[in-house]
Amino acid sequence: MFLSLTVRKKLKKFRSIRRGYYSLIILTSLFVLSLGLELFMNRRAVLVKYEGNYYFPTYGDVIPGTTFGLESEFETNYHELKELFKDHPENYVLMPIVPYDQYFTDLRDIRDEKGNKLYPPRPPNASTEHYLGTDTTGRDILARVAYAFRSSMIFALLLTLIIIVVGNSVGCLMGYIGGRFDILTQRLLEMASGIHVLLCAIFFATIFPPSLWSLLFLLGILSWMGYTADMRVLTFREKAKDYVTAARGLGAGHLRIMFKYIIPNSIVVIIMALPFQISSGISNLTALSYLGFGLPPPEANFGELLEQGQQRINELWILGSAVATLVAILVMTTFIGEALREAFDPKKHTVYE
Amino acid sequence: MSEVILSVNELAVTFRGEGKKRLTAVDNVSFDLKRGGSLGIVGESGCGKSVTALSLMRLLPKPAGDIARGSIVLSDTEGNAVDLVKYPQKKLHKIRGKRVAMIFQDPSSSLNPVHKIGKQLMEVYKLHFPKMSYEQRHREAVDLLRRVDIPSPERRMLDFPHNLSGGMKQRVVIALALACKPEVLIADEPTTALDVTVQEQILSLIKGLQRETGMSLLLITHDVGVVAEMCDDVVVMYAGRVAEKGAIRDIIDNPQHPYTKGLLTSIPSLSSAPKARLSTIEGSVPSLYDMPQGCRFANRCDLAEQRCEQQPALGRLGDGRYVACHKVAHQVVREEAHGSS
Ligand SMILES: Nc1ncnc2c1ncn2[C@@H]1O[C@H](COP(=O)(O)OP(=O)(O)OP(=O)(O)O)[C@@H](O)[C@H]1O
Ligand code: SF4
Ligand SMILES: [Mg+2]
Repeated sequence: MFLSLTVRKKLKKFRSIRRGYYSLIILTSLFVLSLGLELFMNRRAVLVKYEGNYYFPTYGDVIPGTTFGLESEFETNYHELKELFKDHPENYVLMPIVPYDQYFTDLRDIRDEKGNKLYPPRPPNASTEHYLGTDTTGRDILARVAYAFRSSMIFALLLTLIIIVVGNSVGCLMGYIGGRFDILTQRLLEMASGIHVLLCAIFFATIFPPSLWSLLFLLGILSWMGYTADMRVLTFREKAKDYVTAARGLGAGHLRIMFKYIIPNSIVVIIMALPFQISSGISNLTALSYLGFGLPPPEANFGELLEQGQQRINELWILGSAVATLVAILVMTTFIGEALREAFDPKKHTVYE
Repeated sequence: MSEVILSVNELAVTFRGEGKKRLTAVDNVSFDLKRGGSLGIVGESGCGKSVTALSLMRLLPKPAGDIARGSIVLSDTEGNAVDLVKYPQKKLHKIRGKRVAMIFQDPSSSLNPVHKIGKQLMEVYKLHFPKMSYEQRHREAVDLLRRVDIPSPERRMLDFPHNLSGGMKQRVVIALALACKPEVLIADEPTTALDVTVQEQILSLIKGLQRETGMSLLLITHDVGVVAEMCDDVVVMYAGRVAEKGAIRDIIDNPQHPYTKGLLTSIPSLSSAPKARLSTIEGSVPSLYDMPQGCRFANRCDLAEQRCEQQPALGRLGDGRYVACHKVAHQVVREEAHGSS
């Protein structure tokens, strides 16, 4: 472990702040679970038993319908297969909890009590297993929200990684080299800070078709600049300490000093920035998608759901699901950030007797 | 006649002052460290001991500090000599830690707080012997801890610096410095930050290790008593200059410079008649901002007179014995070229 005693003390303090700690646990578990989302929400079955053989279609290649005695050469329709196997007790299909993925368009003929045909968007209905209803094209809202959660989290985490690595490295360099390099870089960053991140992202998105990677790259190079200041100041403080001089005296080079001595000893600024970074990553992606410059359709995203929900304000389950989930995520990251700040704030941490 | 391993000649170090002005913290300092020998540098706080030591490692804080003049010549046994002042910055890592190592005053801040002791020790081998395997490095590190008398070294490898007492930390710092068997060890007040009982142990450890490895020792302290115990030769510094230097026995038996005399009477164990109270030297060291033109000790010297407004030259009194004072000028054997201001 490369954490100093004080940092570990502070993390212990963090654990005692319930709201933040539980938010961290919940959000982390949800994210970890979402990595296996295909097992819970998928048009593919989890398990198929056909003529004594077991199949696990969730991951891997498409299994054509012919494998299970259907006529289709295309991917097996497991909903159909399930209906078919009802009469054959030796064969069965085990579907996920939500038998839809984010792209699945439900074209079934669904009618209400009076026998009127229901067109999408359809309201929540447990019997059709659309627990949060469908959107305007008949895609399951719950599945779309869940996949949107996963892609937003992955996006935000990767973006945070980029920003933290680049921002802190540059900040550390500025503080370490100091002098003219520091002043010049600072002026450049000040000029760059005038750039509006979203506006700039929209500009580029109109030129290059956006994808997860291009958006990451774009937001990454636009946002790291705000994250140099803290590390720069801490480096000034840390590089004057004896252990740095002592390490130099033992023959350690500058890069080693920066990455093995200064940055690990300044880990606090990195930890403190994490929750804020993650929530701003999610918000930025949502905003871009809302405006139509984010992840291209049919990719599920909160922005796209919000936009649709706003269009169909009477079908409240669309807007409601998206808003509730988004708010829950942002509130939890805020709680985490708040708890971290409380745990790491030196003024609250020290007792003057 | 011993061979000289480290020869410092007319070293001058300046710091950036207010505006364009540069302040001279170390001025015209020369001394020789003999191979396998030990040299003490004594002087009051602020007289430039640490600055001298840092210059030898080329560790002055840049760009504030700068070696303005002089040479620092490091010689090996084959007679090859390099001037560390002109040594290329890129190659300094070949010297630092490997040929010349340094121990700092405060062990609690000389270790990286976030890494375990073992990792820090093994890191030094990684730096200088990249081909060493993990097992080899581990074995060497444990062995080092054993050599600096740390009990149950294997277990200590897993400790963080904050788990250790000050004395133990300083032992680890010494182990770090000795890892690559340096030819010269510079110890800058290695015991000042420690308890009195621990000070003795650390000093005898350093002395023992020096005897064992045959390395040369440059010991910096403000305690003449320590130098008397540990060193063959001594340089007495005052306000950035050499006041007197020579063999420690000669200087204790027969101090010539008024400052040295003052220093010696301030240690009870060495003065002939035990005194009730320590006699300290009255007055204070002139600041770097207004160094007097003449003798820097003049404002505190009982013997100061007219000619002391001229800077006294460092004159040779006998074999290896030099003093910078007008009062002893008549005893000077031969003017030294580098003694003038
Ligand atoms: N980074 C620096 N910038 C400016 N002046 C400095 C700097 N470092 C040292 N000095 C000056 O150099 C002079 C010598 O300092 P030095 O640290 O060598 O004293 P010292 O003899 O080691 O004292 P001590 O016994 O307190 O350690 C002091 O007057 C100090 O003000
Ligand atoms: S030169 Fe003069 S002032 Fe300086 S130490 Fe000698 S007698 Fe004192
Ligand atoms: Mg000092």
